[in-house]
Order: sequence, then C-alpha cells, then structure tokens
Amino acid sequence: MKRLKKILIVAGTSLLLVMLAACGGGSSASNDSSGSKKITIWAWDETFNIKAVEEAKKIYKEKDKDVKVEVVTMSQDDIVQKLNTSLASGNTDGLPNIVLIEDYRIQGYLTSYPDAFADLSNIVNEDDFSDYKFAVNKVGSKIYGVPFDSGVAGLFYRTDYLEQAGYTAKDLQNITWDQYIAIGKDVKNKTGHALLSINPSDLGLIRIMMQSAGEWYTAKDGETVTVSNNEALKEGMKVFAELINSGVATQVSDWDGGVNAVQSGDVASSPTGSWYSSTIMGAADQSGKWAIAPIPTLADNSKSIPASSIGGGGWYVIKGVGNTKLAKDFLKQTFATSSDLMDTLANKIGLISTLKSAASTDAYKAKSEFYGGQQVFKDLSEWSAEVPSVNYGLHTYAIESILTEYAQKIIDGADIDTVLKDAQTQIESSIAN
Amino acid sequence: MKGKVLSFIKYFLLIVMSILSIFPFVWMVLGMTNKTIDITAGKLMIGDQLTINFTNLFNNSLNFTGALRNSAVIAVITTVLALILSSMAGYGFEIFKSKTKDRIFNFLLLSMMVPFAALMIPLYRMFSQLNGTPLRSIGINSMFVVIVPSVCTAFLIFFFRQNIKSFPKELVEAARLDGLGELAIFFRVYLPSAKNTYAAAAIITFMNSWNNYLWPLVALQSPEKRTVPLILSAMGASYTPDYGMMMCGIVIATLPTAAIFFVMQKQFVQGMIGSVK
Amino acid sequence: MIKKGKFSTKKNGTGFIILPVLLIILLVFIPMIQALFTSFQSGTPINMSFNGLGNYQRMLTDTTFRKAFFNTFLYLIIQVPIMLFLALIISAILNDKKMKFKGFFRTAMFLPCITSLVSYSLVMKSLFAANGFVNQILSNLNLISAPIQWLTHPIWAKVLIIISITWRWVGYNMIFFISGMQNIDPSIYEAADMDGASSTQQFFKVTIPNLKPIILFTTITSTIGTLQLFDEVQNITLGGPANATLTLSQYIYNLSYKFTPNFGYAAAVSFVIVIAIIILTIIQNKVGGEK
Repeated sequence: MKRLKKILIVAGTSLLLVMLAACGGGSSASNDSSGSKKITIWAWDETFNIKAVEEAKKIYKEKDKDVKVEVVTMSQDDIVQKLNTSLASGNTDGLPNIVLIEDYRIQGYLTSYPDAFADLSNIVNEDDFSDYKFAVNKVGSKIYGVPFDSGVAGLFYRTDYLEQAGYTAKDLQNITWDQYIAIGKDVKNKTGHALLSINPSDLGLIRIMMQSAGEWYTAKDGETVTVSNNEALKEGMKVFAELINSGVATQVSDWDGGVNAVQSGDVASSPTGSWYSSTIMGAADQSGKWAIAPIPTLADNSKSIPASSIGGGGWYVIKGVGNTKLAKDFLKQTFATSSDLMDTLANKIGLISTLKSAASTDAYKAKSEFYGGQQVFKDLSEWSAEVPSVNYGLHTYAIESILTEYAQKIIDGADIDTVLKDAQTQIESSIAN
Repeated sequence: MKGKVLSFIKYFLLIVMSILSIFPFVWMVLGMTNKTIDITAGKLMIGDQLTINFTNLFNNSLNFTGALRNSAVIAVITTVLALILSSMAGYGFEIFKSKTKDRIFNFLLLSMMVPFAALMIPLYRMFSQLNGTPLRSIGINSMFVVIVPSVCTAFLIFFFRQNIKSFPKELVEAARLDGLGELAIFFRVYLPSAKNTYAAAAIITFMNSWNNYLWPLVALQSPEKRTVPLILSAMGASYTPDYGMMMCGIVIATLPTAAIFFVMQKQFVQGMIGSVK
Repeated sequence: MIKKGKFSTKKNGTGFIILPVLLIILLVFIPMIQALFTSFQSGTPINMSFNGLGNYQRMLTDTTFRKAFFNTFLYLIIQVPIMLFLALIISAILNDKKMKFKGFFRTAMFLPCITSLVSYSLVMKSLFAANGFVNQILSNLNLISAPIQWLTHPIWAKVLIIISITWRWVGYNMIFFISGMQNIDPSIYEAADMDGASSTQQFFKVTIPNLKPIILFTTITSTIGTLQLFDEVQNITLGGPANATLTLSQYIYNLSYKFTPNFGYAAAVSFVIVIAIIILTIIQNKVGGEK
C-alpha cells in the first residue's frame, strides 16, 4: 500500500511538472516571429564567426538602438540538419532571419529550396567584394548572399625548419607543387620533420589545386560531372599521391590530428585556408617562426595561378521568418559595407575579409609579429582578390565522398586516367536524382 | 582448491574489464585539467587548467546551466511516464495473451526497425501542424515535443514483456480469486515484485533521454530550450575546439546517469518474486 | 484506492495496452507510411514527384550503398555475438551473491555507454593512433613489427570499429541480463545445488534456459542497434578511410544532410534496413522464441 502511494505521488508530481513545462513552452513559442524588432542569427564557432557577429551587433547598435539581435551558436552540421528539416517540411517557424552558410553548400540550398532565401541584390554591390565569391551565391543575376570570410589559400610554413633545410623565404615564392615536394624531401632529410600532414580521406588539397586553375568536379552549370578529362584534377591527384608516397607527408586520420601536427611542431608547413591562421597562432610558443607564402601552382597547367581558396562562407537571409527588411538592413550596415567592422575583425579574430575596402584599413597594413613581421593581412587579401572564380555546384561533398575511394586507388598506384574514368561513371550514376 | 582458482579467474577478468571500462572515464576527468593540445596528444597527466576550463564552460554565450536543467526535467518526466505506460503495456500483452494481441505486438516491434532519420521530417511536419492549434503546447519548440515520442517505445514494452514471462501467473489468478481488480493486481502484485526490471528500465530510459540528440536538435528551436547534448555539440563546432572546456562539460553531463545507475543497480536483488504474498 | 473495474471492465486487458498502441501508431507508423511514400519519389525536397521503383533500382548499381551494406552486415555478424557472449559471462559472474564489490564492478562496466561520444572517440583515436598506446604494447610484446594503421587502413579501421562498439555496449546489455537473472526463481538454483551441479553446469542448465526471453530481447535489439549504427563510426572514423567503415545509417544521413538532400533515395535506403531487420527478427524469433 505504501508503495502504491509513492507511485501515485511520483506520477502526480510528474504530471504537474509536465503541465508546467507545457505552459512555459506554449507561451514563448508563440511570439517568436512576431517580436517587432528582433532578429536571430545562426552561426558556428564560438571563437570565430560568433565573435564576428557580436562585433557586427555592436556596430548596428549605434545605428539602431531598439533592435534586439539574438546570436545562436550551433555546429555547422546541426545548422544544416535544422535548415533542411524545416525547409523540407515547408515550415519556417523558428528558423533564424540570418544564417551563415558555407560556400561549398550554398548552391545545393538555393536549388533545393528556391523560394526560401531573400534576394539581396539591392544591398550587395558586386564590385565591393572579391570576384570569386559571386560564382557561388548567385542564381541567374540575383545575389542571395553577403560574402563573408575569405578562404584564400596560403602556404603557411615554419621559417626555422626551412632555414635548417637550406631554404629562404624567397625560395618559397611562386613555386609549383613539384618543387614543394622536392623541398619537402630536403626538409625531411635535414630536419627529420614531415613537410605537412595529410588526411587521405580529406581532398581539401585537391580542391585548392583545382580552383587555382579555375576547375572543379563539375562544370560551370554546377551539375555536369567533369571528373574524367579534367587536367587540373588529374594533376592534383598525381601531386596528392606523390605527397603521400614520397614520404614527405605524415598521415593523420582526422581534423584534430592535423591541428595537433601543426601545434606540436611536427610539420614544417600547412597549405590551407587563411582561417587556419588562428589555429596556428594557438601555439603561442611558435611566435616569429611562421610565414605565409602564396599557394603553389600546378606545373603542367598553364591556367593555374598562385591564388586559390578553401572553405569560406556567406550570410543569407531566410524569407518567411518575418523582419526580412530588418535582417537585410542589418547585413547592409555591417558585413556588406563596413570596413570598420573588417578592421576590428582582423584585429580580434584574424579574419581575412572579402570586402575590398578592408584592405585600406589599419589592420591590413599592420605587420604580424607571429609571422615574423610579414604583412599577412595585406598579402592574403591581395591573393584573395586574385582567386579564380569557380562554381562549386550542387554536389561537391557527394562527389568527394566517392572520389576518396578512387583517390586511394591512385595512391596505391593505379593508372590515373582509368581510375578517373571509372570514378566519373560511378559519380554520374550516384548523384542522379 | 578448484573453487579458489575459479574465483581468482573471475576477479581477474572483472578487474581487467573494469580497468578497460574506467580508463576513458579517467582520461576524461584528467582532460578537465588540461589544454586542448595536450588532450588531443593523449597526455595522461594532471594539468593546471581546471579552473580556467571551468570558468570558460560557464562564461560563454552557451547556457550550460540552463541546458542541464532542461535535460533533467525532460529526462525525469520521460522516464516516469515511459515506465508506467510501457510496463502496463508489456503486462497487458503477456498476462492477457491472445492471438490478436500477439499480432498487434509483432506489429509494434516493426516500429523499432525504421531508422529515426527517415521518420524525422514527417514527424516534424506533424508536430509543427499543432503549433497553430490549441495543442501548440505539445508542438514544435515545446518541452513536450521531445518527451512525447519517447514515452511509448516498442523497445521498452518488449523488455517488460520478456521479463514478465518469468513472472508466476498463478499469483495473478490467486489475486483475482481474492477479488482484486486488474489494475490493483498490476500495482499491488506485479509491480512490487519487479523492482529489478523497473530499475533496469529506468537506467536505460533515463540514459536514452539524457543523451537524445537528433530529435531535440530539430524540434527545439529557442536557444534557451536546448538540452545538454545540443550545447556540447555547439561547443565542439569550431576550427579549434576547446576540448579542455568540453571535458568539464562532458564530465558534468555524465554524472547524473552514473548516479542513477549506481542507485538503481542496488535494486538488482534476487528473490523478489518469492517474497510476494 | 483504485476503483475496481473502472480501468478495464473485462478481463481482456485492453485497457493496459490501448494508449501505448495508439501513441506508437500515431508517432511511428503514420510517419513511417509517409516515409514509405517518399521512398517512391525523387526530386528536390519541396518539389518531389513519383518515381516508381527508381530509387530501389538505383541501389543495385550504387557502389557506395553496396559498401555501406557490406560493412554494416560485417559489423552485425562479428560484433553482436561477441558482445552478447561477453555480456552474458560478466552478468553471470556479477550475479553471484558471494561476489564482493558488485556495485563497483557493475558501475565500472556500465561507464563506457554513458561516456560521452566526444571523449570516447578522442580516447579511441589517441589509443589506436599509429604511435598510440595499443601499438606500443603490441610491439613491446613483439606481436607486430610495424605499427598497425588502425585509423587509416581499410581493414584495421573496421576492426577498430568492432572493438569500439563492443567495448561500449557490453555494459549496456549486461543490465538486461543481470535484471533478468534476478527474475529466475532461486529455488531452481537451490535444487541444482542439491543435485551437486557445478556453477558452470548451473550456468548452462539453469541460467541460459531461464534467460531465454531476455537473450532473445537483447539479440533482436542489438541487431537493430547495429543495423542502425551511426554515432560511433561518425565520431571515430567518419566512415573513412575512403568509406571503408561507412554504415547504412551514415549513408542515409549523408544523402539527407551532408550532400544536396535527396530524401527519396534516403528513405528507400532506410526501408532496405527495415526489410533486413524484419527478416532477421523473424529468424531470431523462430530460433530463440517459444515454440
């Protein structure tokens, strides 16, 4: 009998709790979108993108004090899942007004949900930004995104290790990937350090190489697969295999492995995007030992230039959430025009902006102590302006998932042309809808 | 002699397994005191970052304390409701066995077999339709939306039913002869005898609810409603995640389930059935 | 306290099952039927059209699907028996009344499945790194001459996944076994003792037969769990190297979210899992269920 009483008490209390929780839930769910002057922004990375939004918020506060800006940190994967679930169900309740989307992904969204995003043509001036950013955020002539960070690629390297191997800064200017490998062999022999770390399942390096020649896995239309007979990809694969097989690279299996290889001083260089700078600078004890050279080029490809990109994203406005005007105005006053903001962000989070006017701010002229006095912001933003335009299309990640298998075959010594031809067939049948 | 050897082997096996099992937990606790770079490099030492990591955990835009509260409320309500509903159902299927019920039961098992990812969008659509109605308090973004789909699972019903198979049915008959109602038999005869089953079910349900990720992720929208796994996921989402801080969060997040387990496993006591009068 | 007969007037127990059954129909079966419809459609998420069996046909030529299918079944065949066997042994030992520190051992065994995936995968990756702890031990014991590439070799990566999921879920299944063993009438053991049966004999003659319903339960739920395996692989290898550890659930996730969404095809792959589970469950029920 006692037990029965206990159970009833527990059940009763829990029901009461449920009702309380339900009431609480009901009241705040209803006024989410109708709140008069409030916008919500979703982004990932507490130390980078979120800080950028917080700074933008400060700037906007000076223009309009009454607007409430809510910034929500989520992982990129979580954002992708939430957006897809909501948009596919045709329900925009609870979605943010503004969301950060990666360049590689945006065409997929714009195609899958053609009416979901607001046209930003009237707040973004194409001439104000690095050209290549507009190869991905447009549909027809309409601009849907405000370009944000540059993914401009650079060759980050340890000056001390290279010096030991007999190389000066000059020797690293405008080299080809083949020369890079040759340097790597010397570095390995003389210092014992690997040249770089590679995760064989991550084809980011190949993306860098392709874009330097203005090529991609797909053609300009974003859909036609161009894996076979793609000179840039072919040479990229060759270099990729060579980096691994020549022994200059140390293999890692994930992102953290790469970060650790850099921060612990295992590797002599890292060819990667400008946003990686903050990671490298995370190892404060290596201050003064790093420099950045332009990204190497493909030796046999005349179109390949020492400028490329990896990653990067833009800000997008979701229609149907309400307050679209306000959201657009927020972006207009901040990320779309404010070089002051870019100046602050360069200082605070090391952001390389794609906004051209940022280059004239103080931060971009400054010399970086960590990079041995190099004007890194100036250099990187100059390279950023040169990056060849490439439409990343709809299927970058789907193609890469399959291509990693074929890359493994190439690393194991199979004939590149044949492998890429097989890959082309497999990819074409896989991405068909 | 033989007995001694056997018990030595038993203890040896248990100790080895325990070390293997506890090791990652210890590693996690050590991680609380270290910097990210030492954690990813796998250093097994006590560092000096504990206070810094803790301060970081509670001083950022992510409301970790709020998430703990949300998770706790959801997990407790889910567990209580799930235990009551599922045990009754499992009891109903086994004690009142019939051809039709067996068919319904087999049909219910089917519900465990679909990957949740496939159900998510239809389920989301269903709950979001409630948001315009008086039922919005169980619609998307309410706490209820997370609870409701987990209070009745074929999994738990199945578990209770399998355990009830070893419950002596004569006791039910005897109680009926004594003039007890069916519900009273369930509460007064069956329930007190099934402490260990309830304990196991409570552990599993609480743990599943506490760790539930995919559905809360899409169904909860306001940041202040997020649960612990969602906050931890947001913390990991950076170019250089702060693992030291995350380990603090993770250890805290693990403690409630560990405590529930420790308390509940004491209910695994033999001979309950025999003692029922 | 409780009014007699108000809840279920007849003695058929419908009152006990009606609410749960309705809830499961509403929350699982209705969405499931919608998903089944989706599996016959193709196109972008908000503009889907009927495609007949197109999605199912596509699987026949999809090598990534085949790889994921193969991996998933490999995990199932190797991992589930090992895991359940280990769990059964440990449960039997821990069920012994004379055993000391039972609470401690039980909690220790249970810890892996509540250890957060993030830290668990970090631990696994660092233990099994090329220069990690495991390789050091193996080479100190002269079992290997070169370090095993646990994370980047297609076969060893699968072995690593199997080790990881076994390690994580033994304690989980142990709970079901221990609580089930408590339900076995102690007088049966007492009778066996009188007959002079050794503890090993008792395990096989008393424990196993009486635990049959629970063994069936864990076999079915573990089968389902393994066929829907996602978290461990996603966190430890992300399906790599080159999809060598990819599971069907990961593939569904990729098709729905990582790639440009193709919900129709993703739903079709889900139903292949459903069909596989149904077949296996029927077999398991035939083999292990009551006659």
